[in-house]
Amino acid sequence: MSIMPEEAMDGVRLAILNNRFEGVTRKMANTLLRTGRSGVLNVARDFSCCVVTADCELLATNEGLPIHVLSGPDIMARVMKEYHPDLKRGDAFLNNSPYHGCSHAADHTLLVPVIDDEGRHRFTVVVKAHQADIGNSIPTTYHGAAKDVYEEGALIFPSIRVQTDYETNADFRRMCEMRIRVPEQWWGDFLAMVGAARIGEREILAIATEEGWDELDRFRRDWLDYSERRMVDAIGALPAGKSVRTSRHDPFPGTPADGIEVKVEVTVHSNEATVEIDLTDNPDCLPCGLNLSEACSRTAAMVGVFNAIEHSVPKNAGSFRRIDVKLRENCIVGIPRHPTSTSVSTTNVADRVANAVQAALAEVGEGFGLAECGAVIPPAVGVVSGVHPDTGQPFVNQLFLGMSGGAGAPRADAWVTIGHVGNAGLCYVDSVELDELRQPLYVYSRYLMRDTEGAGRSKGAPSIEVVFGPRDCELSVGYVSDGAVNPAQGVRGGLEGGRGDQYRILADGSREQLAPCAQVTLLPGEKIVSVSTGGGGYGAPHERDPEAVAHDVSEGLVSKDRARAVYAVALGADGRPDLDETAALRAAAAQAATGG
Amino acid sequence: MRFAVDTGGTFTDLIVEDDAGICRMFKASTTPSDPVKGVLDALQVAADGMDLDRRAMLEGGSLLIHGTTHAINAIITGRTARTALLTSEGHPDVLMLREGGRAEAFNFNIGFPEPYIPRSLTFEVPGRLRLDGAELAPFDDAAVLAIIEKLKAKQVEAVAVCLLWSVVNPAHEARVGALLEQHLPGVPYTLSHRLNPSLREFRRASSAAVDASLKPLMGHYMSGLQQRLGDAGFSGRVLVITSNAGVIDAQDAAEAPIHIVNSGPSMAPVAGRWFSQTDEGNSNAIVADTGGTTYDVSLVRRGQIPMTRETWIGEPYSGVMLGFPWVDVKSVGAGGGSIAWVDTGGLLHVGPQSAGAVPGPVAYGRGGELPTVTDASVALGHLDPDYFLGGTMTLDRAGAEAAIRKHVAEPLGKSVAEAADAILAIATENMVQAIVDITVNQGIDPREAVLIGGGGAAGLNSVRIAQRLGCGTLVIPSVGATLSAAGALMSDLKAEYHAACFASTARFDFDRVNAALARLQASCEEFGAASGAIRQPVIRFKAEARYDTQVWEIEAPVRGPRFAGDVDVAAFVGDFHAAHRDLFGFADEASPIEIVGWTASITCPLRDAEGLTLPSNAVAQTARTRNAYFAATGWTDVPVRRFDAMHPGEAVEGPALLENALTTVVIDPGAVATRRASGGLSIAIGEKQ
Repeated sequence: MSIMPEEAMDGVRLAILNNRFEGVTRKMANTLLRTGRSGVLNVARDFSCCVVTADCELLATNEGLPIHVLSGPDIMARVMKEYHPDLKRGDAFLNNSPYHGCSHAADHTLLVPVIDDEGRHRFTVVVKAHQADIGNSIPTTYHGAAKDVYEEGALIFPSIRVQTDYETNADFRRMCEMRIRVPEQWWGDFLAMVGAARIGEREILAIATEEGWDELDRFRRDWLDYSERRMVDAIGALPAGKSVRTSRHDPFPGTPADGIEVKVEVTVHSNEATVEIDLTDNPDCLPCGLNLSEACSRTAAMVGVFNAIEHSVPKNAGSFRRIDVKLRENCIVGIPRHPTSTSVSTTNVADRVANAVQAALAEVGEGFGLAECGAVIPPAVGVVSGVHPDTGQPFVNQLFLGMSGGAGAPRADAWVTIGHVGNAGLCYVDSVELDELRQPLYVYSRYLMRDTEGAGRSKGAPSIEVVFGPRDCELSVGYVSDGAVNPAQGVRGGLEGGRGDQYRILADGSREQLAPCAQVTLLPGEKIVSVSTGGGGYGAPHERDPEAVAHDVSEGLVSKDRARAVYAVALGADGRPDLDETAALRAAAAQAATGG
Repeated sequence: MRFAVDTGGTFTDLIVEDDAGICRMFKASTTPSDPVKGVLDALQVAADGMDLDRRAMLEGGSLLIHGTTHAINAIITGRTARTALLTSEGHPDVLMLREGGRAEAFNFNIGFPEPYIPRSLTFEVPGRLRLDGAELAPFDDAAVLAIIEKLKAKQVEAVAVCLLWSVVNPAHEARVGALLEQHLPGVPYTLSHRLNPSLREFRRASSAAVDASLKPLMGHYMSGLQQRLGDAGFSGRVLVITSNAGVIDAQDAAEAPIHIVNSGPSMAPVAGRWFSQTDEGNSNAIVADTGGTTYDVSLVRRGQIPMTRETWIGEPYSGVMLGFPWVDVKSVGAGGGSIAWVDTGGLLHVGPQSAGAVPGPVAYGRGGELPTVTDASVALGHLDPDYFLGGTMTLDRAGAEAAIRKHVAEPLGKSVAEAADAILAIATENMVQAIVDITVNQGIDPREAVLIGGGGAAGLNSVRIAQRLGCGTLVIPSVGATLSAAGALMSDLKAEYHAACFASTARFDFDRVNAALARLQASCEEFGAASGAIRQPVIRFKAEARYDTQVWEIEAPVRGPRFAGDVDVAAFVGDFHAAHRDLFGFADEASPIEIVGWTASITCPLRDAEGLTLPSNAVAQTARTRNAYFAATGWTDVPVRRFDAMHPGEAVEGPALLENALTTVVIDPGAVATRRASGGLSIAIGEKQ
């Protein structure tokens, strides 16, 4: 086949080659999910797989965690090239440095350069996976109170060559085994990551054999251009305008007494088809683990944008050309300087950024944007550790027993188990039986809580209450739960979601309030109660379909009183909505609101 | 005489095997409101076709094997029984929360799925067991009796029971069952530990819920089927196809209807396995079934049909989870009716929207306006507008071309032929990705497998699919258009027994495991003794196992019913590493292995003959050509042959079009089709043009 490089690839070839690249990332992700060893990987799906071009532009990703992939793989690929100009087939590099493009230290990232037969670097495949343990000073990968990276304690790998000629450096392995609490689990996950990355490498080499590297290069160029055109259309549909919105993280150790307010200035330039997000007017980095890495600052802003527009726009360097994220150095939502800690960079404050952006875009125009998703990380999604009473062996693992947090959307109610905005619901929910088998604990109960949904035309998720405790041993639970003071906000008249909470039930049945960010040790017979945050509603509750409200009441998710008080829906004795009375209630409320 | 009847959405397929072992294929329309009528109609068509009286034909019948979509349709359309769920106290949201997960991270247009059983019909049973089976909280008869009163008040028609750790200690669930028998007589119920003794309460609860909800309906259906077949003269055995590529007696299907929910696509690989082995001597096959709206892919790996426990009806994460192993089938919304469209960025898509059977492709002339894959084949001259389904339907070629011009060719700046070829290219790619997904999951290299093309529309692009995958050989079986019914005729009576006995190779509890395996073997033997098998049944064991701290199990073979000592454990460990390496490319040799479940399956052969023999009938052959388009050649006159008129061993080089009354097979340039003794076509795929 003859190729004319100046000619644009048609929509047929583009579709076919894109399908193949997406197939590569799906294959990688499938391997990782099914072979990974830690719960955060194989249950929470806290990983991502992507392909980056030789120019370090993001080309294709799996349907992975949003907070993982949008920005970061590009920076890490650049760092790899800069530090290792002599890339060879068989190399693999490990990067978990928040100062070098990684999201946070817990996300070990393996980069494998794809090298052609002439020794030329063509693509980089990237596998990022949250680890069960990374050698932090306390047994959790989310050290919210760490005043700097030294107190955080993780081993940091700023793009280290860990494989040469497909063989793992044994020094590196031994180092990790001395510093990571669950070395077998870490090694199993490392093998799974290598397996996934090498599958990606092999597949791209196979596609190139069939299609030729020049053809893939043409695809790269034209696919990114196509994605940009789709983004132009999507942003063009938004009304022009500027919207400033804040979202406040609760007070934690190391933060000011009133928490951290994140301010986003979102400007839609419809004519130029760009969205600008300015994060520079925010506090300097703080002496705690809540600061964002550069990758998370950029990504969180982009997640907010992509959640607010037509969902089918491809997420890659092409569509990113239309998003301008303004950051500054040494800003809590900017570019941190070493040794600032970013231990919980992927969740708490990052969620505040993404939520503020999508809420700001909701206020720009009806039919766009999203309410705020709930905050994390409640104890039911905390890291548990201790010594197993049956085996005497130490254990560390993250639970995923219950988070909710889904936000009301323009055209649908919340996806209840969204987790948090950066996870987007990809996380699985733990089986009680598997958790009880794997860790010495009991899960006593798990309920969706009535009347905790973010009321709205589209409702936000309710909170989930989970009660669990140790079995015949002490159980340490680490968590960093935002959202008790500042719940998820609704948009366009929608109301806030339920607040987070946690307390201990002592052996005598009495209750003891627990701090929102803590490492708690439960004694045998004690229980911990974890309440997740709900999500905000979209649109006014009085606009909600009365039939939908009646259904919520019959399902026990909303009380009859709340249906009347908040949604202005009157229900008959049979549970059906009384449409006449409902109309009267809503008319009266509307009149009262206009001051009549 | 034996009958295999497969009820599909549009057609009811029938294969009749006479006492001389000759098989004949028939089709009749399905009556959705009364599927048994479609079965009887198909039998009438067969009797007519063989110049027999239907009653006389049925009176000579010994066996009727039936595949039905009745159960799955009831689930999809919500016509199941009003069913209650009884869970452990504290855990009523088990079906609401599911296992979490979501398919599309950025798509907020889809709300959260409703639970299979609403919260308003979910009740919490006091009493909680520990993982060792001991009581953490006591059971309470009075509370259950109070629940039963509520069930009466709510006029519940079926009850599902799933309590935590019932697989370790069934006492609480069994007590609920006894109380239901006594105080709610006549209302069918399902206990999770009896139906599906496996870990993971969501999957077990979902299994029980689906099963219970189908019992009233399927009990009625099965008795109606047997009654009406009996009235028509049939007094033989009625078997029903299961989701795991076996058959069970109709009465067993009525008592545990979950087993037959996915009976539709489970038989294609049984037939595919036979054709791949007999025609090509290859024990690895990719079996594709092309329908109007979906493309179903299943596999044969080293002669075995791989199963999966990821059994969703509908979309993963938002559909209904059966929690029961079934034949691993990957379905994608790609078929003859898939619609082609160009997005605002200039990218061509095919599907997932489908024109379905109504209005159908533009060429059907039933009001369809959007171009489909079938329309593309018509526009390319691959399908003969005057000989579609043997000439029973005339296609509107001009309409197909106009729709392609307007919706695809003009937006892309291409000719109609180029656009039609592009539609096939994208449809092919969608199908290829489905095959890639399932083969990756099951660790099969497509380049070492035979592609079997089943379904009436398989011939249109299967050569292209095989080219893209690098499969050397494509087989279009003689019975390709009724592949599932053919599989049914070849299938064995099967039963599977499961035990959730947790074990680790780090501290292997020989006594417990051996006791569990012995119980499974005894269950198999009991089933085998009553099976009516004509040869010695085969019992196989396998384990669902994983490396320590993995959460997703894989299947590994267990060599026998007893672990005598460390040597046997070591053999199992070796087999597990090999299976893991097969699937994922690596093994963690130092890691202990955890086993979460054990399965014994028994296969009871019911039929002596192997494969199928069709009547040999000479068809007159007139040399014809048709002007058709291929990307490599442009418009060109290509030979058109009746493939039932080709002699065994005769070869035809592409480009060519091979037709019979039920299907058209497009032989692209570079491919060579040879007729096999079995009657099918074996197509050697040339290099990609």
